[in-house]
Amino acid sequence: MELELRILWAAIVTYVLGGSLAIFGVVLKKRPERAVLALVTLGLLLHTASLGVRWERLGHGPFITLFEILSSNLWSLTLAFVLAYWRIPQIRPAAAVLMPILFVMMGWLMLSHPGEGHFPPTYRTPWLYIHIGFGKVFLGAVLVAVGISGVVLLRSAGIGVEKFARLPDNARLDELSFRLMAVGLIFETLMLVAGAIWAQDAWGRYWAWDPLETWAFLTWLALAFALHARITFKTRPQTGAVMIIVVFVLAFLTFFGVPFISTSPHKGAI
Amino acid sequence: MRPRSAAPAAPARASGFPVADDSRMSPTLHGALRALASLRLTLAILVALAAGIVVSYNSEVRTTWSLVVPLALFAVNLAAAVATNAVFRRQSALLVFHLALIAIVLLVAAGRLTYLKGQLELGEGETFSGELKEYEAGPLHRLRLGELAFVNEGFRIEYAKGVRRGHTWNNVAWRDAGGRWQRAVIGDQDPLVLKGYRFYTSHNKGFAPTFLWIPDSGAQPVLGAIHLPSYPIHEYSQALEWEPPGSGLTLWTGLQIDEVILDPEKPSEFRLPRVHRLVVRYGENRSEMQAGDRIKLPGGTLEYQGLRSWMGYTVFYDWTLPWLFAACALAVGSLGVHFWRKFAAKPWDA
Repeated sequence: MELELRILWAAIVTYVLGGSLAIFGVVLKKRPERAVLALVTLGLLLHTASLGVRWERLGHGPFITLFEILSSNLWSLTLAFVLAYWRIPQIRPAAAVLMPILFVMMGWLMLSHPGEGHFPPTYRTPWLYIHIGFGKVFLGAVLVAVGISGVVLLRSAGIGVEKFARLPDNARLDELSFRLMAVGLIFETLMLVAGAIWAQDAWGRYWAWDPLETWAFLTWLALAFALHARITFKTRPQTGAVMIIVVFVLAFLTFFGVPFISTSPHKGAI
Repeated sequence: MRPRSAAPAAPARASGFPVADDSRMSPTLHGALRALASLRLTLAILVALAAGIVVSYNSEVRTTWSLVVPLALFAVNLAAAVATNAVFRRQSALLVFHLALIAIVLLVAAGRLTYLKGQLELGEGETFSGELKEYEAGPLHRLRLGELAFVNEGFRIEYAKGVRRGHTWNNVAWRDAGGRWQRAVIGDQDPLVLKGYRFYTSHNKGFAPTFLWIPDSGAQPVLGAIHLPSYPIHEYSQALEWEPPGSGLTLWTGLQIDEVILDPEKPSEFRLPRVHRLVVRYGENRSEMQAGDRIKLPGGTLEYQGLRSWMGYTVFYDWTLPWLFAACALAVGSLGVHFWRKFAAKPWDA
């Protein structure tokens, strides 16, 4: 366990360096973008190595304990950040909003107990990877949308208007963030469908309104509502940004809260 | 998603999207359909559905009306939108998505009316004869379990250190339509599917002392087993009161195991004990029995034939499952195609 934790610490330190550089770049109006991308990518590689060492040691992936679920989601969310940072250069300053969310997760991860949990027989199925994979794409898309929405709200509140001036106008950011939410809707739907297929053979029912299923479906409804409301009422970018943040909060609580307070069989560890 | 169209509006509309021109429709019906197809109604239904879920989730007694009403309204809203919204004529992927959503709602409703979920227990070597220990079913379910039969041919269950249950391998056999015996290994996630009924093993299993009851009346002896409480959950209460068939006697039977079956310190497997004592009490009389032992009781003789295992199964029936999967796949695929076309038509920063 020592080795994987040391590599994880190295990854976290590299993430923090890259993220801090991104934030200071926005604050000081500098553009250390290549360095940010290089550092966060290096952190991602180290994090991958840490997850790989643990996977090899335990014989199963990071799907059971809070530590493992936080670690694997931090990895996937950082991957989403890196891809967005690399492929959509216009929104790179949004890293100043997005990175603090990842910093909070990093802090939570480092405070979590890294002990191992029991890998139940119901998890020995390819649907585990399909279900979780779709969920990670969903949350990654929503996270990037949240970063953009944060910029919209900050600029609307008169905070950092100059520092975020390089980003496109709010209407365009609103369009991009809702496209990401559309991607999120597709992947959350896929996550629910894959989860239902898994649940059918894991627990003999495809849907039973257990706490995790219920909150995941409420998140889906909130996402569908946000997309519909934007079309129906032609909402302002600020309103859209608030709706996106609400969806993210619901999704975050569903991913990292419900599995660890629920006593139902459908949870992080059973 | 139901977009508003940038196309010129039809003359009479209030719901926010172009209405399919259908001059044969009466104005009243047209107006009613427009109201039912409203996007604002969709939003209200989504909120009502979320509220219904929260109400149902927090209710001590499971309520279904709070889900059924918004879901029914949702289906009506979607159907009205498909019938009246001209956008669907131009955007086929969007049309398919909404039709798939309607199909999902209808299939879920049909599934709830016709499903069955139940539990049963079978001793090793015992044949399932259609009887369930308990079950719940939709009001329109036609019980056909009597037409099914399979034999529990024994099982293996691995346990990890700390008595954590791992994989279950249960051998089962059944006759196919041609009368030939078929065999399979099923488990918690690998069901035996017979005429749409899916039989899964469960965590519920234990020991089953087997007895032969020989009535003094000269009637046919009866062979049967009693299922002691689930093991290892009820490791320290392996006892049961029961009645030999037609005897009117109440017997207390307890299993005493003087060895560790599932060692918490290392990986192990569920198995029958190598040595055990079976205690049978009738009133003040107490007997310790080994396989082959007999005791004389009022009205008959009880012969202990040995210890077997029993397995608890869950059975689930829902004919809509493959159709639901197809409708979901269609919904997600068409939604993906719709967004792809929409986003490819215009860059986000144009």
